[in-house]
Amino acid sequence: MASYIARRLFYGLLLMVGVVVLNFLLIRLAPGDPAEVIAGEMGGATAEVLAAIRANYGLDKPLLTQLWIYITQIAQGDLGLSYFFDQPVSKLIGERIGATILLVLTAQFAAVFIGTTLGVLAARKPNGLLSGFVSVFATVGYAVPVFWTGIMLIILFASVIPIFPVEGMMDIRLRNADFLTKAVNVLYHLVLPAFTLAVIYLALYARLARASMLEVLGADYVRTARAKGASERSVLFRHALRNAALPILTVAGLQFGSLISGALLVETVFNWPGMGRLAFDSILRRDYPTLLGVLIIASACVVIANLLTDLSYRLADPRLKKEDEG
Amino acid sequence: MSEAAESPLLEAWRMFRRNWPAMAGLAILSVIILVTFYGAFLYQGDPYEIVWAPHEPPGVAPEFPLGTDYLGRDIVAGMLTGGAPTLAVGASAAVITMIIGILLGALAGFFGGWVDNLLMRVAEFFQVLPALIFAMVLVTLFSPSLTTIAFAIGVVSWPQTARLTRAEFLKIKQVEYVTAARAIGAGNLRIMWRVILPNALPPLIVSATLTVGVAILFEAGLSFLGLGDPNTMSWGLMIGANRDYILDAWWPVTFPGLAIFLTVFSVSLIGDGLNDAFNPKLRER
Amino acid sequence: MNRWTGIITGVAAAALLASGLAADEPKPGGSLIMASTQVPRHLNGAVQSGIATAVPSTQIFASPLRYDAEWNPQPYLAESWSVSDDGLTVTLNLVKDATFHDGTPVTSEDVAFSIMTTKENHPFKSMFAPVDSIETPDPHTAVIKLSQPHPALLLALSPALAPVLPKHVYGDGQDPKTHPANSAPVGSGPFKLVEFTPGEAVVLEKNPDFFIEGRPYLDEIIIRIIPDLSALLIAMENGEADLYPFMAESQAIRRLGEVDHLGVTEEGYAAVGPINWLAYNTKNEKLADPRVRQAIAYAVDRDFITKALHRGVSTTQRGPIVESSPFFNPDMPAYDVDLDKAKALMAEAGHGDGMELTVDYIPGPAEQQKNVAEYLKSQLKKIGIDVTVRAAPDFPTWAKRVSNHDFELTMDVVFNWGDPVIGVHRSYLSSNIVPGVIWSNTQSYNNPKVDELLNAAAVELDGDKRKALYDEFQMLVAQDLPIYWLNTLPYHTAYDKRLGNLPVSIWGTMSPMDEVYWKEAK
Repeated sequence: MASYIARRLFYGLLLMVGVVVLNFLLIRLAPGDPAEVIAGEMGGATAEVLAAIRANYGLDKPLLTQLWIYITQIAQGDLGLSYFFDQPVSKLIGERIGATILLVLTAQFAAVFIGTTLGVLAARKPNGLLSGFVSVFATVGYAVPVFWTGIMLIILFASVIPIFPVEGMMDIRLRNADFLTKAVNVLYHLVLPAFTLAVIYLALYARLARASMLEVLGADYVRTARAKGASERSVLFRHALRNAALPILTVAGLQFGSLISGALLVETVFNWPGMGRLAFDSILRRDYPTLLGVLIIASACVVIANLLTDLSYRLADPRLKKEDEG
Repeated sequence: MSEAAESPLLEAWRMFRRNWPAMAGLAILSVIILVTFYGAFLYQGDPYEIVWAPHEPPGVAPEFPLGTDYLGRDIVAGMLTGGAPTLAVGASAAVITMIIGILLGALAGFFGGWVDNLLMRVAEFFQVLPALIFAMVLVTLFSPSLTTIAFAIGVVSWPQTARLTRAEFLKIKQVEYVTAARAIGAGNLRIMWRVILPNALPPLIVSATLTVGVAILFEAGLSFLGLGDPNTMSWGLMIGANRDYILDAWWPVTFPGLAIFLTVFSVSLIGDGLNDAFNPKLRER
Repeated sequence: MNRWTGIITGVAAAALLASGLAADEPKPGGSLIMASTQVPRHLNGAVQSGIATAVPSTQIFASPLRYDAEWNPQPYLAESWSVSDDGLTVTLNLVKDATFHDGTPVTSEDVAFSIMTTKENHPFKSMFAPVDSIETPDPHTAVIKLSQPHPALLLALSPALAPVLPKHVYGDGQDPKTHPANSAPVGSGPFKLVEFTPGEAVVLEKNPDFFIEGRPYLDEIIIRIIPDLSALLIAMENGEADLYPFMAESQAIRRLGEVDHLGVTEEGYAAVGPINWLAYNTKNEKLADPRVRQAIAYAVDRDFITKALHRGVSTTQRGPIVESSPFFNPDMPAYDVDLDKAKALMAEAGHGDGMELTVDYIPGPAEQQKNVAEYLKSQLKKIGIDVTVRAAPDFPTWAKRVSNHDFELTMDVVFNWGDPVIGVHRSYLSSNIVPGVIWSNTQSYNNPKVDELLNAAAVELDGDKRKALYDEFQMLVAQDLPIYWLNTLPYHTAYDKRLGNLPVSIWGTMSPMDEVYWKEAK
């Protein structure tokens, strides 16, 4: 197991280096001179100013040298300086990554929990009303553009039934309040964004749970359990669900990257102060170091999520564990 | 794989026809396609022209059944013009995805060994990148044209297709008729494209259909963020441009959103139907 | 009395800002949440122009002078000042007890250092260009020596343009444009920085040692950045924000005006003078002929823009100097819509069969920029001009195209900044055709007579003579038409009605808000 973890870790690291190299080259090779962008933000560019900026940001060195400097910097946890704010990118991301992770994880758990429950209930009567509803809802949830769901919810909750806040993460007046008050306020602000993001995936898990449940419910050991007189609830939740958990776990891990993409749109719509909005704003400002930083950190989140999925998968499935040890 | 059946496609079509949600999807999609490409003949209207007071609600002025936007432009005209780029980008992005995915997946599955290893690592690499942010970077760096958008979507979504193709190739590679083809001296290329691929097609067709849906959502998301082609009216662009005014006017964002939803919805109904039709055993799922 | 003579000869009244308006005694306490769609890069207004930086910068940094709502200079760090008869020497007498937020006293050294730093680093080059040197005979006297008379100098000593920086922080040899202190500034103004989260919020708290006794009234000011307008309006409506300055969107003005607990005012923008215009690239062969430019002017309907596109919240603007300024010349031609005349001019210029043009616009403030560009596409078709709207994905891209003269027509928003020398000359002087610099003379307009008039006006201390020079200048540019001026931006402030002493001076919220207070606790 330890060697497996080490292997996976090394491999994840390799992936990250790849991400860094690819993005760096892409952004540096693209048309447009970053020095002019910086100069433009400062209010004007003369040849001397441009030269000074290039020297300042190391843009005058050969590309490979720049790449090497960049990689060594990142290895030390330094993501460089934002062109726009002249502040460390790691600080800018640090201020926002918590918001994004909170949003993504809440949406993920809501989707898995509600989705699975719906799926399990639907599997009880494969041709029943709920089952039909789950299939339709699954397709609908998948087909609605997430930003549009968000906008519709804003229209609904801003004027028609104003019970949930539709923008921001916290009432800034509570800045100095105690932790509990702040936490409640944040959760209150989290409701709509998290729901919007969860809708897409909720359907996915409902569908998945229903399918694996149907498969498992037909299996011998479940029939045996039933024959032994186990209650319906016990069959559903203790025996069948445990076996349906693996595919759900796998998919949940795989969806992490797509969740981060979805979070970008949701953050933009609900003015949620996270990393996705930072990425979007950075594109508008041509703030490449910040953009690169977000891409790298977001990729790292996906790598970590995949790693954790892999590990829990191994822990959950005894067969794989033996295979590994054998 | 039912190679015994006389015409698997015909059989699949029979299955598909009996699946009413799938048929409904096909009908909806056909209507959407007809309207987007031929609607201009029935309904005259320039989506860029200011024709009325801004923010006229739908159903008030009979000339403008869906109302007007923030400039006083006709929303129906925008909806009719805005579908074509969305559909075109969706379809071409799906084609690009399929080409890259099938090519690399086939190579990996057929040759195995280090080729497989390498290609699957590359696929994993692209799956780690947050797709939307990466596509945004590509689009901003290389001009926001429809081609760039389709290409960007293709680049970020091929790994799934590649994995699927690889799995199919691994499976079919072992089957008797492949061994037989090899025995009579068929070359690798011939076996890959003429023998294995046709048999791997059903799941790939299903996947391609779903990719169209994903690509349409992707294009809509990019246009919504203002990263689409600004000179091409599209549904996503309409939502993005009217977003500042949602508190005053719900209709300019609602209708294009519904159109995107209906398109993707019908596409995925068709995808589900195809899936069921190709895999009768899985129908219960 | 003419207002500009007030600017030049004004000597301090004894009282600090006469606040006879407030019947109630202002109450201290409370926090004010300001909403903004604009993102400041940093908080140092000495090296960065623009609203986003100026609003927090003027709260943190004090300046030699400030202005009331009637264009009268008021004492601030300078308790009194005098201008020599030849206009070449300006003496500032500083208050004795002012300190920076870190406890260091504010001296004439700091003032001298700040003005020279601003002169070298601020994009408004004409602002302090005539300043030769600043002498500091004692810690509380600064003597500004000018190479030529400079009627705009006192206005340039305002909080928005001349923040007094601490020399002991900024004098360390680092480039002031990228100085780390720009994001963690130490000033001597009424509020000090607590927290700056770039792109999200600026948190300021009361400076208890502020040199004006008893001020500021507020305990804290928080500037919340909300890029999405709908979200911002919702925050204002449900009380999560109290003050929204620089509001120019018609729907926002109308919508917030209808909310019970909010008020909306146009006051507080006199010195900004924001003009929305259509600029021509006069070097472009299609636009080199003034008749083509005039034809476009005759085709464009300013009333349609202000009444229909802007729903009546903005006002038409006929010339380079805002119509509310005493320097505006009302005799300028208006170019009222006349499509026949426009077509005739096109034909005269040899373009009877039409032409193709592109129009750029600043991405962002859609109602003033993009929407007008889209209207031009629709309208100019009527005189045979096929317009392509060329969108830029972001501000830097637009600025790069326009500043490098890679455009045909472009929409633009340019501020007068109180005095023509600061905000108007830059767009018309042939000496200011500087590729790469945005808001220079990007039209490549070159008329020696205009240069002569502007250069004379820059050193003319007599208000009436100066006005005569500007009158002639305006008539000339109205003929040449390097720019077709459309409207002034309808800047408004939305405020919670429980707020007292609203920031309504000529600089509005780009001036210290030490007098603002809550009439009743929120």
